[in-house]
Amino acid sequence: MITKAKEKTQIKVITGNAAAATAAKLACPDVVAAYPITPQTEIIEQISKFHANGEMDCELITVEGENSAMNAVTAASLAGGRVFTATSSWGLVFMYDAVLAAAGSRAPIVMVNVNRETPGIIAVSSGQQDMISTRDAGWIFLIAEDCQEVLDLVLQAYRLAEDYDIQVPVMVHYDGFYLSYLSEGVDVPFQEDVDTFLSVLKDQPQRTKLTPGEGLGCGSHGILGGYLELRHKHVSAMERSKEKFDQIDKEYEQIFGRAYGGQIEEYRMDDADVVLVGSGSMCGTIKTVIDEKREAGIKVGLLKMRMFRPFPGEVMVESLKGKKAIGVVDRSLNFGHKGGPFYTELKSFETKFEGSPMVSFIDGVANTDITTANVATMIDTICDLAAGKEVPEVTWVSYPEANDPDSAKVGGQ
Amino acid sequence: MSEVRFHGRGGQGVVTTSKILANAFARVGQFGASFPMFGFERRGAPVTAFGRFSDKPVREKTQIYNPDILVVLDPSQKASDLVFQGLLPESMLLLNDTDSTTRIKHENLKKFALINANKIALEEIGLAIPNTVIVGAFARMSGLLDIEPCCDALEDYFSGKKLSANIVCAKRGFEEVELFDL
Amino acid sequence: MAAKKGKLTKVLDHLKHEDPFSKGVAFCPGCGLELLLRFIPQVLGNDIVITGTPSCSAPVLLGQNNQSWHKLSYFGTLMTGAAANATGLARYYKKAGIDNTVVCFNGDGTAADIGFGNLSGAAERNEPFIYICYDNEGYMNTGIQKSGTTPYGATTTTTPKGSISKGKNLRRMNLALKMAMHKIPYAATATLSDLDDLAKKLLKAKEAKERGFVFLHVLAPCTTGWGHAPENTIEVCRRAVKTNYFPLWEAVNGKIKMTKEVKKPKPVKTYTELSKKFVNMTEEDHQILQDDVDYEFCILGGLSQLEGECQLPVSAED
Repeated sequence: MITKAKEKTQIKVITGNAAAATAAKLACPDVVAAYPITPQTEIIEQISKFHANGEMDCELITVEGENSAMNAVTAASLAGGRVFTATSSWGLVFMYDAVLAAAGSRAPIVMVNVNRETPGIIAVSSGQQDMISTRDAGWIFLIAEDCQEVLDLVLQAYRLAEDYDIQVPVMVHYDGFYLSYLSEGVDVPFQEDVDTFLSVLKDQPQRTKLTPGEGLGCGSHGILGGYLELRHKHVSAMERSKEKFDQIDKEYEQIFGRAYGGQIEEYRMDDADVVLVGSGSMCGTIKTVIDEKREAGIKVGLLKMRMFRPFPGEVMVESLKGKKAIGVVDRSLNFGHKGGPFYTELKSFETKFEGSPMVSFIDGVANTDITTANVATMIDTICDLAAGKEVPEVTWVSYPEANDPDSAKVGGQ
Repeated sequence: MSEVRFHGRGGQGVVTTSKILANAFARVGQFGASFPMFGFERRGAPVTAFGRFSDKPVREKTQIYNPDILVVLDPSQKASDLVFQGLLPESMLLLNDTDSTTRIKHENLKKFALINANKIALEEIGLAIPNTVIVGAFARMSGLLDIEPCCDALEDYFSGKKLSANIVCAKRGFEEVELFDL
Repeated sequence: MAAKKGKLTKVLDHLKHEDPFSKGVAFCPGCGLELLLRFIPQVLGNDIVITGTPSCSAPVLLGQNNQSWHKLSYFGTLMTGAAANATGLARYYKKAGIDNTVVCFNGDGTAADIGFGNLSGAAERNEPFIYICYDNEGYMNTGIQKSGTTPYGATTTTTPKGSISKGKNLRRMNLALKMAMHKIPYAATATLSDLDDLAKKLLKAKEAKERGFVFLHVLAPCTTGWGHAPENTIEVCRRAVKTNYFPLWEAVNGKIKMTKEVKKPKPVKTYTELSKKFVNMTEEDHQILQDDVDYEFCILGGLSQLEGECQLPVSAED
């Protein structure tokens, strides 16, 4: 992150959730739908408080479930409103049909998803499995590393979702517990600066809105060519969103003095021999360990994914090609593949890396902590890989039992 | 960077203690990051919170395994092995206890601080919520903060009469904490 | 049975607006839903926003690709969240200061079954729109399956006649009464044999939605799914009313009032005999259905006479 000196700042020590709620407030949405779920609840509590104090002039719908939250904001968005909602885990999958419908109808919704485990094992714990469960929904996915980036990404998400050339819903993800409840200093932007940043949208052509009496409809049956046309337009808009996001990041810097690099953030990558690819809160820890390893003469860098949908393959190839070894850290599983989801997707670009070998690390699942020691182990492993040593393709860093080659052969459980 | 681990129970304001301290560090141009680790949110359940305080930005997003400062708000945990797990040499411990004769010794402790925060809180705010007293006592014991930024930080969490009462709590914590070099 | 001339004129008086639907739309001959769907905008105006879900109404209401069968603003949505969608529309229009009448138009599958949770939620929050359930007592669009409003004894493809079974062996739920118990500004039942009553209730609905949530439950027989002659659709409705199988009432803030008294109710068999879906019922089954109809009507009668005994809270009075 590049930080330019600014004349005026207001640093507030707030949680990741409060940063999300503050960003939502600054974006001045017309309609907000609220339903509680750990670890997201604090966001909607905070928004309810803003609303109750007259600080947030929106229609606040305290729905009876997440499915209704998504349905309500989808409709309000298509009617022309700016909308916000937040969820997590089971809440995200409970609104799954509406999440798909929102994307299909190209409703420019901004939703925060506080990442939490989601599979059939009930777990009140961190993990990105909920994000993976909805990755093919047709939404744009952005991922934040710290509380400041949570706030910045929510604001950037509005510019991306509502851009006339994009009109695709955006989900802003950040790690539950490790970031949702983390209190740290956040430079809270001034309202007039946010208004300036978002005012670009007002100067664009206005999107089609569902208005009473105007004889317009949405949600028609898509038949054959009509369906294909809409799907192709959707896929194309997502492709366009990559460069658009880079551009928005630059414009953000002009006003707020912070730039992250758009689709990806690179940390000490220029001269790096080996690279960890990661996302979310783990990246702060990885940066600390990289600095330590650098002191010891190991040239390691970090490629942080800020965007996961669309997959920023082109910029990643550009950043990674020619490196001696790449390790991808996944905070979720990819059932049906041995490696994690990010790893598996990046693997499809492998032939473009000019021979860089890749391995997969699974860590941070089920609230396991991606510790500095774990990160050091991962870096040691990719150094071994770079040195031509034999290294397992997939390593479950916090569950060594999984790394026993015989462990997968035992049936009956 | 100081790595502080807070041990207490739901309802004692453990998480708020670490938040207020992070806030106070931010007010003097330093950096603080705090986060809790608890299971289901219930009053009375054990709560652990972590605080990292530094003059450089705090980037780590992990739990604290090797603290150099311990803050124990719940006296029933004062003899727990879990509290001392991973404690670095030359560390400090701040304990909230109603028993003024309590002394904690540990091979890695160089400083021990004792405060009857519940008593002060009861006197000043009428509730046995020790957190703001602990904030003041922490500033004094650690030497990392003055009391002023701690009092200023309280403005983000309290208002009106509660604010002034809690400022008194913090100040009394700062003044009344007993320090023992070990 | 021809209606009296005067009465017919009275109904037409309510049709102040154009029929926005094209002729020859894709409904079965004698479809109760079609009559209802054409009737609503003629009474309420063509400036309503109508929402619909996958259902019998969908092919006509929601159009295909960029073509539509009508001139209304419409929103095609999911059965699971229909009432929440309408909520989003109505709330945004409120915020933006746009005059609106949002009509959330759904079958009984959405209203009574898969979408009941969000229907109940919208009612509890008193959201400012009109929810209309056209009740054809089952999932007709998917090929006639049982729903929560399918009556006792009815044969559907998921309650078929078999060697040990002869149709639905459970009593239907009373959706309208459940909705009235949400203490919303206006809830009512209506059907296609009593269009004057329906039109008046639609107009009351439009007025009441200024105060919050409105629920209309309209019995809309399905010739294909029920197995009655297309020309008998209205007669089926008429007999449903005359047997007290589907009594006509309204409730303002939960206070129930009958809107059509049936002096001497006919046996329910005079209703069931018109539709093949009841063909597998024995005398004993008919008695069970009759008992259920009598029981529900008794509750309704009791509730409508409670005025004076139970004081409505002042806040709930008009």
